[in-house]
Amino acid sequence: MYKQITITGFGGQGVVLAGKILGQAAAIEDKLESTLVQSYGPESRGGACSAQVTIADGPIYFPYIQNPDILVCMSQSGYDKQYPTIKKEGVLVIDQDLVKPVDEREHFAIPCTRFAEELGNKMMANIIMIGFFTAITGVVTQEAARNTVQGSVPKGTEQKNLKAFDRGWEFAQATLKGRRHKAAGQVGVVA
Amino acid sequence: MQDFKIILFLCNWGPHVAFQTLQEQRADIPPEIKMVRIPCSGRITKALLFKPFEMGADGVLLLGCHPGACRYGTGTDAASENTAETRQILDLMGLDARRLQLGTFLPDQPQALLAFLKEFTGRIRQLGKSPISAPAAAQPQESEQSLEAIMSAHDVFACQDCGKCTSACSLALAGKSFSPRFVASEIIAGRADRPEVRAAVHACLTCGTCYERCPSAVNFPEFIKAMRIYYHGRTLSSAPAHGGFFQSMMRAMTAEELVPRRWEDLPENIRVRKESPILFFGGCAAYFDIFFHKYLGAQTRQILEDSLRLLNFFDVEPMVLPNERCCGHDLLWSGDRANFLRLARLNAQAIAASGAQEVITACPECFHTLGQEYVRHGVTLPVKVTHIHEYLEREIGKGAVAFKPLEAKVTFQDACRQSRFNGQSQLPRKLLKQMLGNGGQAAAEEAVTVCCGNSAWTGCDAYSKRMQVLRLERAKQAGSELMITACPKCQIHLRCAMDDVLRGEELQLEMMDLTSVIARSIYWA
Repeated sequence: MYKQITITGFGGQGVVLAGKILGQAAAIEDKLESTLVQSYGPESRGGACSAQVTIADGPIYFPYIQNPDILVCMSQSGYDKQYPTIKKEGVLVIDQDLVKPVDEREHFAIPCTRFAEELGNKMMANIIMIGFFTAITGVVTQEAARNTVQGSVPKGTEQKNLKAFDRGWEFAQATLKGRRHKAAGQVGVVA
Repeated sequence: MQDFKIILFLCNWGPHVAFQTLQEQRADIPPEIKMVRIPCSGRITKALLFKPFEMGADGVLLLGCHPGACRYGTGTDAASENTAETRQILDLMGLDARRLQLGTFLPDQPQALLAFLKEFTGRIRQLGKSPISAPAAAQPQESEQSLEAIMSAHDVFACQDCGKCTSACSLALAGKSFSPRFVASEIIAGRADRPEVRAAVHACLTCGTCYERCPSAVNFPEFIKAMRIYYHGRTLSSAPAHGGFFQSMMRAMTAEELVPRRWEDLPENIRVRKESPILFFGGCAAYFDIFFHKYLGAQTRQILEDSLRLLNFFDVEPMVLPNERCCGHDLLWSGDRANFLRLARLNAQAIAASGAQEVITACPECFHTLGQEYVRHGVTLPVKVTHIHEYLEREIGKGAVAFKPLEAKVTFQDACRQSRFNGQSQLPRKLLKQMLGNGGQAAAEEAVTVCCGNSAWTGCDAYSKRMQVLRLERAKQAGSELMITACPKCQIHLRCAMDDVLRGEELQLEMMDLTSVIARSIYWA
């Protein structure tokens, strides 16, 4: 396995933390190899920022990512900038309320910022996205990601963040279930 | 052989002459047959046709005049409809339909009549004894409560005589001279056995509005329930609605040997499993549909099928109890605690034996009874009881589903057992909002609605009708085009008002259960 993942969004959305959690989950919990390259500087005051995570089951010789296998976009500007680089067979994951896709390419969408607001704090959008990402891609295991979330968030907010993770995970399960049903031609209840 | 019991309802006119001829000829009429002479076969309602079975009969015959020879014109037609529907119900509840038969004879057909009687008796001998045995005469009530105990258990003495209950009471608002406060003070004053007090206790709708308003929190519906049990112990129950058919049916279901045949005709595209952690408990809707088929065209069974389809939609293949019995709600609320307990124990046994961990039901009465009343009356149910609305709210909340827009202005009719007794009035409203978006806002913000006019198949009268008419009129005045209900009985009761010969037209309003509306509009986004 060799997966190159780019996560983009506004500075402050927790894009880098999301990347760090994924890499850590893979390296420490799942016993894989991982690297993280984060953008820093003025981005953390707003504007497009990104985290590049590589996860592999063997040594990683080059941490930078030109063409990601998985592209996660939590803002329109990040999407506009990174979308052309995604591999042809790559998987695109977006926040459906913040990103308007330019074409008909198949993708996975979640309103993670809206969910985070419903849960009481929009800063948790990144954790919801991790839950969603984990279930959709399976690059890291659920247990690994969940444990790492618990260990990475500020003390006292663990339960809230785990709830956010589960929210994203459940939404992914529902999405996958819906796709299975649609593929089988069962779109509604009364066919 | 001699102990078979066959009840023969014999029309006074055509067949009676033939029967008399047989008696005069000293023909060998089978000795199992006990004859009851009646004025016309059309007057034997479904309740009367069923009653002998409840009392332990092995077969019932209804003999009328030849079609076209009925003295009153429509008697034979009514008899054949009643027989056909009762037979369907017999089959569904596991009593063989062949135990009930209609025969029509002319006065000069004694030999044909004798052959018919012999054939039927032979069939009953072959089918054997009915699984329902005659009830033991006058069973003493289990742990009967004294009036004082009832009053202190429900803290009726806390009544401050303020009258908030009466001013909110659905029945009083419909114009009936009925007052919860009056009932409470009369019983406190030791006048419980006066006929008007007894009538009032049986007239109460047990909708729970008074309890919501009571500043002393006297749980009036629970008090009424206890009082009905008290009167029942003294065989002072009032005459139930629909000739007592449903109470009869439920009492018959307490027979342990009876094996109902529910769920045999489920559509093929509904997937159920023999074993599953989730059990779907249907309730009596299938029986209602047969019983009310002629008048209301009720389709409450649709609610159960739609619930199962929705579970399938979310990848749940539940199991169903093939021998499912009534949950006993109506027996309990009409005072028959002993038979309620019998049903409760049988259901609890069957549910425990199924190995399920969770019971899902679409009926608010089953939900309330399985979830609350069983344990209150000492029957433990080792599973979690969930209303389908709660399940749907959870699954829909996970996302990835959407709803086709509903092109109608809707109004919601609350189910008392859900919205008041279990305090879940927000649950269906939340679903309405999820389903209709902003279009459902208005319906979701309506206050909890008045009672549909009746409960537990007792005490239906002109005031029930008036409440239903008012509810429908108000809904229509507000421009509603679709009434969404949450209980099969609300559907039946409100449809009954729409069936009115004089005012039916102006009261017509489309009606559908919330579960069915969701099933029709949900899809994977």
